[in-house]
Amino acid sequence: MFENVFSLFNDFVRQQRKWILLLVLLATAAAGSGLFFARYEGNIDLMLPPDKEIARSMDFLRGSSFSDKVIVSVALTDPAKTKKDLFFAVDQLAASLAPPLFMKVVSGFSVSNVMDEFSVLQYAPQILGAKDLETIGGLINSNTVSQKMRGIYMQSMRPESVFTSSLSRSDPLGIKMLLLEKMRALPASMGYDVAIEDGHFISRDGRHAMMIIQTSVAMMDSPRSKELVATLQDRIKALPAYVSADIISGHLHTVSNEQVIKRDISIVSTIASVTFLFLFLLVFRDPRVLFVFIIPFIAIVWAIVLATAVEGRLLYLVIGLGTAIAGFSVDYGLHMYIALKRGVDGSQFVKLSRLITINATTTMFSFLVLFVSKIHGYHQLALFSALCVFICLLFALFVLPLVLSNMKAAPPPVSGSNIDDKLRSFRWPVKTCISVWVVLLALALYSSTSVTFDSDIKKLDGSGPDVLRAERTFHDVWGGKTSQAIFVVTGKSLEEAMEVNDFVFQAAGSLVGTGDFTSLAQFWPSERLRKENIAQWDSFWKQGQEDKLKKLIRESAASYQFSDVAFAPFFDGLYLHQTDSASNGLIAQLQERFVLSKDGEYRILSYFPDEQKYIDSLKEITLKYPGTFIVSGKAMSASISSFTAKEIRILAPLALLFNVLLSWLFFKDWKYALIALVPLVTGVVWFVGIMSFLKIPLNVINIVASIVSTGVIVDYGLGVTYQYRHKLRTGTIIAVTISATTNVIGTGALLFAKHPALHSTGVAMFICIITGYLSAILVVPPLCSLLEARENINV
Amino acid sequence: MKMHAGIIAALSLAIFIMLPPSLALAAEPGKVKTSQPADLAAFLQDIGKKASNFKTLKTEFTQEKKMVMFKEKLVMKGRIYLEKPNKIAWHVDSPVRYSVLITDKLIRQWDEDTNKVQEISLAKNPIFQNVLNQLTVWFSGEYGSLLDTNDVRVIKRDPLVIEFIPRDNNVSKKVIKSIAITFRDDQKYLQQLRIQEVSGDVTTINFINTIMNTPLKSNSFEVKGRV
Repeated sequence: MFENVFSLFNDFVRQQRKWILLLVLLATAAAGSGLFFARYEGNIDLMLPPDKEIARSMDFLRGSSFSDKVIVSVALTDPAKTKKDLFFAVDQLAASLAPPLFMKVVSGFSVSNVMDEFSVLQYAPQILGAKDLETIGGLINSNTVSQKMRGIYMQSMRPESVFTSSLSRSDPLGIKMLLLEKMRALPASMGYDVAIEDGHFISRDGRHAMMIIQTSVAMMDSPRSKELVATLQDRIKALPAYVSADIISGHLHTVSNEQVIKRDISIVSTIASVTFLFLFLLVFRDPRVLFVFIIPFIAIVWAIVLATAVEGRLLYLVIGLGTAIAGFSVDYGLHMYIALKRGVDGSQFVKLSRLITINATTTMFSFLVLFVSKIHGYHQLALFSALCVFICLLFALFVLPLVLSNMKAAPPPVSGSNIDDKLRSFRWPVKTCISVWVVLLALALYSSTSVTFDSDIKKLDGSGPDVLRAERTFHDVWGGKTSQAIFVVTGKSLEEAMEVNDFVFQAAGSLVGTGDFTSLAQFWPSERLRKENIAQWDSFWKQGQEDKLKKLIRESAASYQFSDVAFAPFFDGLYLHQTDSASNGLIAQLQERFVLSKDGEYRILSYFPDEQKYIDSLKEITLKYPGTFIVSGKAMSASISSFTAKEIRILAPLALLFNVLLSWLFFKDWKYALIALVPLVTGVVWFVGIMSFLKIPLNVINIVASIVSTGVIVDYGLGVTYQYRHKLRTGTIIAVTISATTNVIGTGALLFAKHPALHSTGVAMFICIITGYLSAILVVPPLCSLLEARENINV
Repeated sequence: MKMHAGIIAALSLAIFIMLPPSLALAAEPGKVKTSQPADLAAFLQDIGKKASNFKTLKTEFTQEKKMVMFKEKLVMKGRIYLEKPNKIAWHVDSPVRYSVLITDKLIRQWDEDTNKVQEISLAKNPIFQNVLNQLTVWFSGEYGSLLDTNDVRVIKRDPLVIEFIPRDNNVSKKVIKSIAITFRDDQKYLQQLRIQEVSGDVTTINFINTIMNTPLKSNSFEVKGRV
């Protein structure tokens, strides 16, 4: 059947040779110009599993203000300069950052505001609940009041009394301490070790100041991120020479990842191209071989445009993998070129075309199997790669023969043709080869049992060393290394969300302890609860506590000469409170960290250490309150890990099944089909074994790369087995060797990539291809000889 | 003549302090003015240089506090030991005994009531840190840095009295109405520090027997066991 269809197409193409070549030329030119209009994507979100929790967490992070914030850490570099100079530089930078890129700059808040805002009588009635009033009640006794009076008296002797005596007058019992206790966990919610001085965020060493900038630019918006980072860097350059500044932002990761991937693609392409060119010209000594070399590049250009037309946006990462795919796809042209140079007859040409087609089909299937995955990024990779392979196949079968037949001079003989014959006629030490292979395979299999899996997707972040250095310095100065998870409460109105948040805070307190759970409810509950608190406060004092306290103060105050009006500010203001909306002032500033509003929905965030024990406990609360969920980096990693493991359990057997099936379809003989699969089995087992031996963990990327490699190494087995079975003289072994060399160069070039995802891909493919190739030429021929000998005996 | 001018200046100062701020400002054009230095920054720097030209300092003090909270004036007597750049010990001897040591990193205090030493990390108390930063500046004599956050004017020339009124950008603005410092005749250190608070409280500290650059015993900076 293949023969009939192939001959039909082949005849048509040969008849329409000029038109076909013109069409190819025009299509390539059109695709080339299409590259400038195609849209690309820098973030690797599409490579994440579409798990409900992961998707919700990613959506939350995208929609939250975290992702739209930029932190700048300004450092004094001149030892002679002081905090005053530092603050001057910070204020200068803050003043230079204006909309539309920079929406708001926060470089601290005024301590005097803290003192002002937290006047006991304004906030205590609203914030303190029944339990706190019980505590206050416990303070209203002769002993404690006497101690407090003595304390206030003693405090007036101290140097700081200038600042504290007025506070004592409005708070003789020290109720402020109850309020401060509720605020104590606030710095922990920031995750940083921050002090406040002269209205600025300052580090403990006093040499660094922090600015938090809110921007309108979404973290994943690559072009605007570039503009944002460039503008900020320009403004930083204008600062006085005695300061330096580090930018900490997701935008920087987006920009840096894109730069690193682009640089990697450029370096890898150059290394691969130069080496291919050198190899081809050296082996074939024929400039016309350049066309074979160009085929994958034409295929990539066509595939980018076609895949973008289907997908809308194409990931840079997918295009990066295309460089390695180019190495694979050059094989088909290479097979055809060598065969044509050897002047194969019509029947061998068809057989070769069949081999090339089955090779391309196994490769395409190894990509197409990724469509079974639920990860959309894999679909994109499958589409792009399958297109590359298919286009290369079409070029090898139909365009390359046209181009070569158009050549006036006959191509010189392939220098490797003799090697091919020698290799074919070589008498392999059958038992030795097979024994060594079995032993090594067993060793690799044993080693592979201790392989580890790394689910941390942060390690696939390819941001440049400057970005990572800045973050290390930042964490050294400001702390924040302990990651925090977030408990999210959603509501249609702020009040609705705050009311649920109050319940969540209570429940979390009993499950994990309030010390580890920083919530808005801790220091600013819902209006409903604040009103309840006010009523309780009034009732508490009116039911005799006010009179009792006055009496006790009068009794104790005499010995310290306190005047009659000493604590008038407290008693006069005891009931002069009102429910505050916190639309401005310190509470509003603090609230920003806890409240998000988007598309008419309010989200209230609480923070807790990102540890499994807390997540497990707090998950119970999410089941009780609809609209609540947890965002945790560790939980996301665990979900990715479990999702990937599930997918691999389906994808790997499926890829293997496809290969086995195609192999059987090709040979129609189980024995030869199994021999042809030796490189595939060797490649995969050795890949896992070597990774385990080198203590390199498997990850999402290198597993996919190894699955993709199976489609390539199975070709080596198919080619060599096919040649031995049909005693072909189409130069298959030399073609397989050259193709393996080009593949090793293509994937080996990825070892020079700095982006961890590309590097990881290179490592996986490099191991699979080298081991697959070695088993194809060292193990497959002895196995074929063994089978052939047995068949001859049987005959 | 010199004495006469001094009395007028002192009276002006007294009137200024006693009047509400709006009245004081309204009265300003009519009152006797002390000539202001042409270059205030240079003047302060010059004075600061003189008054901060020491490595160590020990002085006795008497502090009078007229506070709304108390019926009578609170009068305290004690000693201050200062070692540059960042070490101040404040010992109150009467009416109660109390000691505090302030360094750039911590506050260590002791009082006879509890007889316990309490140590507080300055870094973890931003409010306290601000309070003590202010005091350190006043005691160390480095006044040049105050121009950015205070309106400064010379109240009197002999002895030299300079008044600092916190501006809006000054943390102290909420609490302190003004601070007047009176220099010794040789202008090498303070003779008096008078702090007028927004609440109406007035604190006056008079420094006596001030000795500069004298070797200080290590126990001068101890808060427990007292010196």
